[in-house]
Amino acid sequence: MNRNIARAVAAVVAAVAVALPAFAGAYPLQVARNVMMYMALAITWDMLLRSGQISFGIAGLFGLGAYAAILGVVRGGMPVWLSIPFAAVVAAAAAFLLGFLILRLRAMYFSIVTLALAEMFRIVIHNLHDFTGGPEGIVMPAGVIFGGNAAALYWLTLAGLAVALAASWWFEKSRIRFALTAIGNNEISASSSGVNIFRWLLVAFTVTSGIQGLLGGIYVQSYGFATPDGVFSADFTLLPLAMALLGGMHGTVGPVLGAVLLGLVSEWLKLKIPYGHLIVYGIIIIIVILFMPAGILGLARKMSRGAEGGKS
Amino acid sequence: MKKLLSSLAALALVSGAAFAQSTIKIGGIWTLADITGKQGSAAAQLAVEEINAAGGINGKKLELIVADDEGKADKAAAAVEKLATVDKVEAFIGGMASGAEVGKIPAYAKYGKVVVATGAASSAIVEKALGPSPGSDYYFHLHPWDYNQGASYAEGWDAIQKKYPRIQIKKIFLAYEEGAFGKSSWDATKALFGADKRYTIDGAPFKSALLGGGDYTAVLEAAKAFKPDLFLWAGYDADALPMLEQAKALKFSPGIYLGAPPGWPIGFGSSKLARNVSLYGMWSPAMNDTNAASKKFYDAYVKKYREEPATYFALLSYDAVRILADGIKAAGSTEPAALIKALEATKYASPLGETITFKSSNIIKHQGITRQKILQWQNGIQEVIWPFEVATAEPVYPFPAWK
Repeated sequence: MNRNIARAVAAVVAAVAVALPAFAGAYPLQVARNVMMYMALAITWDMLLRSGQISFGIAGLFGLGAYAAILGVVRGGMPVWLSIPFAAVVAAAAAFLLGFLILRLRAMYFSIVTLALAEMFRIVIHNLHDFTGGPEGIVMPAGVIFGGNAAALYWLTLAGLAVALAASWWFEKSRIRFALTAIGNNEISASSSGVNIFRWLLVAFTVTSGIQGLLGGIYVQSYGFATPDGVFSADFTLLPLAMALLGGMHGTVGPVLGAVLLGLVSEWLKLKIPYGHLIVYGIIIIIVILFMPAGILGLARKMSRGAEGGKS
Repeated sequence: MKKLLSSLAALALVSGAAFAQSTIKIGGIWTLADITGKQGSAAAQLAVEEINAAGGINGKKLELIVADDEGKADKAAAAVEKLATVDKVEAFIGGMASGAEVGKIPAYAKYGKVVVATGAASSAIVEKALGPSPGSDYYFHLHPWDYNQGASYAEGWDAIQKKYPRIQIKKIFLAYEEGAFGKSSWDATKALFGADKRYTIDGAPFKSALLGGGDYTAVLEAAKAFKPDLFLWAGYDADALPMLEQAKALKFSPGIYLGAPPGWPIGFGSSKLARNVSLYGMWSPAMNDTNAASKKFYDAYVKKYREEPATYFALLSYDAVRILADGIKAAGSTEPAALIKALEATKYASPLGETITFKSSNIIKHQGITRQKILQWQNGIQEVIWPFEVATAEPVYPFPAWK
């Protein structure tokens, strides 16, 4: 029964999301695009986290995808639509190759190396001035994809989110889930149960990185330019993390919930307190991390268990 | 009762429509957490209040609606959409960081409303994204492009050397922050000063303290070994004092020590280290003694906000409102075609000490200011040393040796 209700709610939410351009103006669509972009990144971060690996490399792979997309068009003469899946392929291939080096690391060593990777990509782009435009960045000569049509840009970002949701659902419903959960819980017992730890980590890292690259491609084609400081910004790592922490980790629903809440709160605060909203926003994130480490979902589960305990 | 309600509803509609008709809304987008955005929006509001106190524009009041772009492209795009579709503004002003400004351009182009931009100097992305006339004719860019800035500095130093023969520059060293701002400064410096081989140019990047850096030893050692006549650094306000401290520690005192950050730290002038540091800019409170418009703006700003305008972006934003208001007045409308035509005839005596008109730049049709100023900290005050027609003091040369 609960599962049926959940499916019905998901279907309604999906229908509303697809139909939103029919009844929402350009401003809500733009805000929704921003929220969906960070939501998709939060989901991909969480997908890898289910194996116990904390990555700080989101911005690196997002930026790599962004530059792959724009350079594919500007330098490679690629059609704009093709540059977006190309961005995913480049980011996934980079992650696959680097995975052989870095997926032997665990805990903070892995986290630090992913953080360094992001900085390394940025520095490489920075220094290939003639090819990438260097620190000044590079502009799409033909401008923004779909001529800047608000509805089309919204659907493009929604498609990126749908890919992230579908991959997350696949991670939850297929045997990858058992492998990643086993790795996250205890690698020795996972290994002795026949789980090929490296292989499943490589799959998770490659898939999540590919989606992050895809989102970078969507982002860059939606705004028509890329600068190293812009697409490798720490915001693309820190905000998805904060969203997943707020909503609740180790599942799809938590990051979705966190992204909606933080995204909307951020925009609402900006309207209400234009000169101090970032301070309030920062305080909210600190309070959430201090007092709700398991996120909203964790709190809800705790309260639900408390209520059931009270009944018995 | 029904009749009374209908009458009230009709009255509400009429008065609402009348209010809407009696107000001209303009949208201002800045990075509000930054001093340039905070003071820029405050100065724009000051201009709006002055215009309204003087009777408004063609009988209508001006209203400024401010939005924050957070210095990010996606947030900047959302700000344009909100102002255009929710607040229904009739024109836009503002802007500072090029990376945020370029995010606004697709939305600006979609609505085609007039924009009087106050910042965004990067021609490589902003001017290129705007594209040529007529597609970008709605965009009136007040701030000089990076190549304008470079050209005016070259012109300025040539003029200074001619007027003051004791100042001789042969070797220039540029320390530049490794981001877009610093790199474009380096490219412009090489192109403009190095082109005819009159100057020997060298340079090296550094990581700005604003972005987690702050150790300038390597770049200062390289500069010291080069023995430049003009040492120039292009970074941010956070670099100003630490770099001077480290230059002092290394006993590095070039003939001219010049900084080119977008803004200086509050109270920089009162530091002993600031003595005779040169800088690039557009305005200084010292100009109040020679320019009536500057003094009028300065006094009004200090009276209203109880603080000094710390950057020239305050004046650019003030000017943006004034120029836009004059244009609307002349056009008798905010309809883009009429307003663009009226703005093309702009001749505005700015508190920045020059008359602003719009001419073609390398790509766009409507470029306002093309020249910056060379200034020098003297006794805690920024004195203008070039252009000579607005100069407030003679240059002190050489930069004093460290004790």
